[in-house]
Amino acid sequence: MSGRTIELVVVGAMLAGSLAAETHKDYRFNVGPKAGVSVNNPFGSVSVKPAAGNVVVINAVLYSDKVEVDNNLVGNRVEVQSHLLPGGDAESGRVDYEILVPSDASVTLHSSTGSLHAEKLHGDVTLEGAAATVDIRDISNAHVHVKTLNGPVTITNVQDGHVEVDSLSGEVTLNSVTGPLVQVISTSGGINYIGDFGDRGEYRLTSHSGNIEATVPGSTSADVSARSVRGEVHDDIPLQPKTHTWFPTNNGSAFWGTMGQATMSSTVVLRSFSGKIHLRKRNSK
Amino acid sequence: MNCLELQESLATAEDGSSLGRDSERQAHLKTCPECSALVAELNLIASSAIELRAADEPSPRVWNSIEIALRQEGLIRPQRPSRSLLPSLGSRWAWARWAMPVAAAVLIAVGIYVRQTSLPVQLARDVAPHAAVPNEVSDVAIAGLNDDDLLQEAAQQSPAMQAQYTDNLRRVNQYIQDAKGVVAANPNDEEARRSLMEAYQEKAMLFELAMDRSLP
Repeated sequence: MSGRTIELVVVGAMLAGSLAAETHKDYRFNVGPKAGVSVNNPFGSVSVKPAAGNVVVINAVLYSDKVEVDNNLVGNRVEVQSHLLPGGDAESGRVDYEILVPSDASVTLHSSTGSLHAEKLHGDVTLEGAAATVDIRDISNAHVHVKTLNGPVTITNVQDGHVEVDSLSGEVTLNSVTGPLVQVISTSGGINYIGDFGDRGEYRLTSHSGNIEATVPGSTSADVSARSVRGEVHDDIPLQPKTHTWFPTNNGSAFWGTMGQATMSSTVVLRSFSGKIHLRKRNSK
Repeated sequence: MNCLELQESLATAEDGSSLGRDSERQAHLKTCPECSALVAELNLIASSAIELRAADEPSPRVWNSIEIALRQEGLIRPQRPSRSLLPSLGSRWAWARWAMPVAAAVLIAVGIYVRQTSLPVQLARDVAPHAAVPNEVSDVAIAGLNDDDLLQEAAQQSPAMQAQYTDNLRRVNQYIQDAKGVVAANPNDEEARRSLMEAYQEKAMLFELAMDRSLP
């Protein structure tokens, strides 16, 4: 037997052992309209997508026998909990979930190191995790709440959302996110907004030391005020300056003005203490 | 005693129950409706914080997390099907799991208070820039917790994340200090007050994440 063959056999045996340690479990719940789904998964990923009909389908991959899945249907609410058993740790306690829910369901996900993903829903979405990577996309007419310690947050294509993101040091990226309220608070993470700020909404992006960058198309209508206590403020877009301001708008540390049609404009507040703020125009291709 | 002296005396008060007992304070409070309202609000916050300890019912997720801890500590059998509905009383940090959400709630209350309270006109006229706001009532004095408690909790529950918690705590404390500085320099700046509230909100979230047994 050649060395390469032995190598392949060893790798195959390891792979087989690994696969043997994994356990797949499936659960299915019939629910009513506007059901609630709550998943608490200390170690591992959770992905939620829409199902056809009023049903919640859970596919769980358990990576060892040191963890089990508890699930429960209480009223119109499905609760899922990854249970670490004695000896379980971040590796052996890992569970990855793929969950289908009715598109109008309210979803609450908690994890730590895994990724959290929700898409194509119009119920409220709450995602929370320390180092968890958060990815939310294609949500409409719903509340979107996110809390992370240092996990990066990406929110894409949220329409008519009530969006609130709190992150201590994770990078936050909002792409085509609009609604009556879009608020991001960060201590040291950067905030990147790409979109047109909708119309008649309130957009508030605040970071203590992280940079804030907003990239908008030329057709955007918004009242924009930007202010950095110790950082720089740059504005690539001509703004109609406000005639009456309550803070000084010079020295490259602040600006306040209107772009586009004032009657259709949203209110945009960009605030930082030591981070840079940059309002830039999106290049059309 | 004038408004400034009363504000300073509040900052040295150890807890809400001692507010308003001093005879000089009482005399001033009788003649100054703004300061009287201020002290009343602080007393309300302090009393509400105490009530929170009894009234704040943890979510099912907290119970689940406590059960995980009990399993890890071997205090309940691994395959026990039913959930324990009692919090751990034997664990060294059991008190912290109750105290931290209370602290978070109090910090948020302080932030809201700082935002909503407008300085008395007389105070704004008389006071030096760095002594104007009531946020000098320290977080520790109000919440009964300090940063060391948070770091010890993180070290015990999430050793892999301890450095992250330490770093983020340092950053959020700097955030609060900077926000306080701006409020002190611009006591009538509503935006500055909101920034201070947001800074407290960030710290409250850090406490919340650190005490959550389901997270590292």
